[in-house]
Amino acid sequence: MDIIVCVLLFAGLFFFTGGAVGILRFPDFYSRLHPAGKLDTLGSLLTMTAFALYNLHHFSLGALLTSSKMILIIVFVFVASPTATHAIVDAGVRAGLEPWTSGEKRR
Amino acid sequence: MKIIGLIISVLTGAMLVYAAADFPAWSDPSSPASTYLSPHFIEKTMEETSVPNIVTAVLADYRSFDTMFETAVIFSAGLVCFFLLRTTRRKESETETTHYRHTLTGVTIQIKEGHTLPPSDEFERIDSLWTPSGLIIKTSCRLLVPFIQLFGLYVIAHGHYSPGGGFQGGVILGASIIMLAISYDLRTIIERISEKMVAVLCAVGVLIFSGTGALCLLLGVNFLDYNALAPILLVDPLTARSHAILIVEIGVGVAVMTTMIWLYCNLSSAGKYNQGL
Repeated sequence: MDIIVCVLLFAGLFFFTGGAVGILRFPDFYSRLHPAGKLDTLGSLLTMTAFALYNLHHFSLGALLTSSKMILIIVFVFVASPTATHAIVDAGVRAGLEPWTSGEKRR
Repeated sequence: MKIIGLIISVLTGAMLVYAAADFPAWSDPSSPASTYLSPHFIEKTMEETSVPNIVTAVLADYRSFDTMFETAVIFSAGLVCFFLLRTTRRKESETETTHYRHTLTGVTIQIKEGHTLPPSDEFERIDSLWTPSGLIIKTSCRLLVPFIQLFGLYVIAHGHYSPGGGFQGGVILGASIIMLAISYDLRTIIERISEKMVAVLCAVGVLIFSGTGALCLLLGVNFLDYNALAPILLVDPLTARSHAILIVEIGVGVAVMTTMIWLYCNLSSAGKYNQGL
């Protein structure tokens, strides 16, 4: 059990780190939203799953309730976070922001 | 006039700073609040009000006079926004045109005021300035709104036991409806909760709070002394205080929720209520 929790936590942290690096390193608005939307969602999914599993160490009805609340958080993050990213990209397109092409300067 | 305003605000600010210097230091254990008030609240809240969450008990019971006027302030904020922005008369030159889109072909037509479109299912009304968001945003907002509203109700009702209460729950409820307005359009929420309904509910929220206080007054005790409500709520005086806190929290929640919607509708449509973000 502990091993699974550790693996999930480290995988989540790995994706979070990748997301942070991506937000800092990518050249423009749209490409920066790419790691922000994808990797942060996956990172929080994995870490929250690890928390929910770890919480079930001492099994009781209360712990099960808490874990199922965490699962609910996972579901809502999974629905809401990519949608928010999509909405931001949509707003960028409507405002007329041109995507970055190779060879241009970072902005 | 500007200079007078500047002088007044500078003077007020200077007086505030001068008075603030007399406050006891942050987390000073020998300050009056820490020596008398806090221990009393921490020790006696449970036996006096039977509410485990001390913050809620202080907010809605011990200090409810303050909270009542906070609710009134929120109500007047909505009212001020309404009075400043709402326009019912139009200029002579301005004629209202409405836009319709043919759903199958995407052709947009413009209808001048005084003319109507023959009733058919093939046309949908659209805003002239705002294109509604895409299918993805609409669908996931529709999916999330009921859960957000459920959570808002939970925050209001669970304020006795966990962080939360009327203000927070009301804001969550209001935000869920504003989210619907952003992902669809303004007409969608006005169809569901009309302007009149919003205004009336906003006042009703304040009325629930102050009415609870006035009921205590009628029953022969001080304003907002919830103990007196025991015979009406059919419980003992201790539980009556706990229940009355829930009642006033519901009032606060209704007032805050409707004020949020009211502010949003007035601001986004510039007081015209026909279309908006």
